[in-house]
Amino acid sequence: MPIGGVVVSTRPEDLAAAREMLAACAGVEVHGADDKGHIVVVFDTSTGEEMERLMRDINRHPLVLHAGLTYLDMEDLQAGEEGP
Amino acid sequence: MAQTRRDFLKRTAALSAASFVGIQLPFTAADLARAADGEQWHRGTCRLCGVGCRLELGVRNGAPFALRGVAEARTNYGYLCMKGMHFWKCMGHPDRLTKPLYRAKKSEPFKEISWDQALDIAADRFAAAVRDHGGKAVAYYGSGQCLTEETYLFQKIMRGGLKSNNVEGNPRLCMASAVGGYLTSFGADEPIGGYSDLEQAHCFFIIGSNTAEAHPVLFRRIMRRKLDNPEVKVINADPRVSQTSRIADKHLQFKPGTDLSLLNAMARVIVDEKLHDEKFIADYAVFRQGKEGKAVTFAEYAQSLAPYTPEAAARTCGGNITADDIRQVARWVATSKGTVSLWCMGINQRKQGVWANNLIHNLHILTGQLMKDGADSLSLTGQPNACGGVREAGGLCHILPGHRPVEKEPMRRQVEDAWGVPAGRIPAEPGLHTMALFTAINEGTVKAVWVNCTSPAQSLPNCDLYNQGLAGDGCFVVCTDIFKTRTTEYANLILPTAFHFEKTGVYGCTERRSQLTRKAVNAPGEARPEVWIACEWAKRLAVKLDDPVIAQCVKPFEGLEADYALPRAIWDEYTQKLTKGRDNDLRGATYPVLERMADGVQWPAPTEAFALTGGTVKKFVKGRDPMADSESKNDLPYQFYGPAHEDRKLWVWLRPQADPSEIPDADYPFYLSTGRIIDHWHTMSMTGRVPELLRANPYAFVEVNPGDAAKLGIKPGDMVEIKSRRGVNVLPAKVYEGPMEGMVFAYWHDQEETRMINRVTKDDYDPASKEPEFKICAVQVKRVSGPKPLKPFIVA
Repeated sequence: MPIGGVVVSTRPEDLAAAREMLAACAGVEVHGADDKGHIVVVFDTSTGEEMERLMRDINRHPLVLHAGLTYLDMEDLQAGEEGP
Repeated sequence: MAQTRRDFLKRTAALSAASFVGIQLPFTAADLARAADGEQWHRGTCRLCGVGCRLELGVRNGAPFALRGVAEARTNYGYLCMKGMHFWKCMGHPDRLTKPLYRAKKSEPFKEISWDQALDIAADRFAAAVRDHGGKAVAYYGSGQCLTEETYLFQKIMRGGLKSNNVEGNPRLCMASAVGGYLTSFGADEPIGGYSDLEQAHCFFIIGSNTAEAHPVLFRRIMRRKLDNPEVKVINADPRVSQTSRIADKHLQFKPGTDLSLLNAMARVIVDEKLHDEKFIADYAVFRQGKEGKAVTFAEYAQSLAPYTPEAAARTCGGNITADDIRQVARWVATSKGTVSLWCMGINQRKQGVWANNLIHNLHILTGQLMKDGADSLSLTGQPNACGGVREAGGLCHILPGHRPVEKEPMRRQVEDAWGVPAGRIPAEPGLHTMALFTAINEGTVKAVWVNCTSPAQSLPNCDLYNQGLAGDGCFVVCTDIFKTRTTEYANLILPTAFHFEKTGVYGCTERRSQLTRKAVNAPGEARPEVWIACEWAKRLAVKLDDPVIAQCVKPFEGLEADYALPRAIWDEYTQKLTKGRDNDLRGATYPVLERMADGVQWPAPTEAFALTGGTVKKFVKGRDPMADSESKNDLPYQFYGPAHEDRKLWVWLRPQADPSEIPDADYPFYLSTGRIIDHWHTMSMTGRVPELLRANPYAFVEVNPGDAAKLGIKPGDMVEIKSRRGVNVLPAKVYEGPMEGMVFAYWHDQEETRMINRVTKDDYDPASKEPEFKICAVQVKRVSGPKPLKPFIVA
């Protein structure tokens, strides 16, 4: 059950819509934002694969310019396994 | 209120992210009630691309459990990409090689043997080849992923011990043209500036690089600069629209192989509109032409640009480019307060790769967009240690450690003296470059090759041709690696190695920055660090060839434990003895200094005191680069002390448009280009074993422009045959407004034999850099069926 800390960057004018979009995503918690378009979120998914898919989908969302990981905890996962 | 472990981790993750952007959260680190008992964080560098992101590996009970970025690191400021976040999964992976494997003939199955047996066999076969045929009959083929200590030690044994300059590595396939460009334009390899320019630039010219997918952490910095300063211009020039294009003010989609025209046309606009910096040119630049570098005048240079009117170049380049586009981007590049150009394989992997590099540098020299903050001509690298290990420490056939050309006798003498081996021990002629090496293996003149941490059987262009030699029993093949690959299928001897964070050593990234990673976890089974393997091999070689000089090559390292003392001693020898007074002076970047620095040291860094400031941010600038001061010859603020230009000038080159090696014709009507996808790295021997990454992209596909797809009856997911004069692939189609019409684009990571695109690519190469033209060849494109279920494939 990995947990990731992520900074999502969006255009300032898209901030509200992007924040709303992120809050509606399963496995995403929005923790804060600023007027530059930074949004601090935490990913909490049941598998690493789900985390990867979430990261990918958000990175490709039209409202998102970049999603950058800063922290990843995967203590429940072992090498070569994908989790429950 | 009681806090669960999961709450603690989530808050830790949120605080980590928030700290990088200065956002205050309603809780602080002090509120996190649970202490991190038994956790250790080990600082190091990411294993994958050339950005050099600093991170910390969390280890508990001897096993990794978390990664976090290092906020104060100037490479990444704490950010990491998803691919990088997963490299830890190679540690302890069930596919890891854990015992030496051997077979006398390649038709036989492998059997497990002991290290003693393995090292004896490796020494026997290399010794026999040298005894019977001389040093030219053996070769080392390394990697931009090896630690500097590893590359340095192997090349020392090969050159000083076995009297062979057949020392090569996969950076020949990716960075050799950038080396040639820097040497011929600036007189010195590697960039003048670095990443710090990104936050100060006012214009980005990104050509031949999908930075967003290949270097996502740097792309974030560019994107952030643009977002915070909307007046900053971003130009993206590429035959393919990519994720990088998203932030571009102007995307120039040019026909493959017409980049030289585009760049010359931009130079012409600069000259015609008098946007060049006359004083800068007068003080620092000269103009050169032809193979001999004949001096010409500015007027002659300007005259050479006459054919490249924006209108003519727009016609040559095709795509969406107009003459006004060329004028506009040339003005942006020339007149911004600071322009940074960035490029990668789209420029380097060309038959005119050095020329294309020169023409980018020309734009910067003409306009003085160099040496000042926010301006640089910055070649991105694809591997974590192509610069530090291979370019700087002697990992190519023509260069000795410390950027010393092999063919210069005084340079060879300096190295021989440092090593304590007799004068004349290092052969006077450069060895075989990569394509010549694998040709020689085909021809049977190289009898034994050591392949370290790379997979040429998949990564060479036109690989079927070169795999013939590797497959035969005429060449004894040793592979050192952590996993089986397409190349281990051709090995006689497979030696299991320690992975990143399972050993200690230095990586040097794109921006002249050396960073140390110390061992944090044990390697599995009997996997060993390469430096230990090389030392043990050399000792046996010395006995078998009865040659004390070979023993001398590793004598300084005898008896040192392999996890720290041995790599440190190797690093000390290299930096203290062989970078002194060279442009990559690393004497100040000792292990103790590197251990203190969050993000390593940029060379030149001649003293520890200077290295502790971070080193040289801008080369050649007095007051900022200690060598610019110590090597100063006049009162000018910039001093070009690089080893390749005795006149200490920047050279503007006259380079005409020239066609790529193969252009589409009636029989093979499409361009093929290849590249990387965000989830996979190189030949996917690592990323293909990470389930999350593999499932995100389980196999390669080919991108087809919707216009071409309509003409060819190709629908999304259809199986499409891509056939060249050399080979064929069958790949699922992605119909996508990415490649321009008349061009298809395929990813090169897939190991499955019908999807290995380097069976199709062309093996012609740049005559100067010897780097192959992976990026352009001519192919047929044909729908063969509807969608088919495909399975991912990894060599077992």
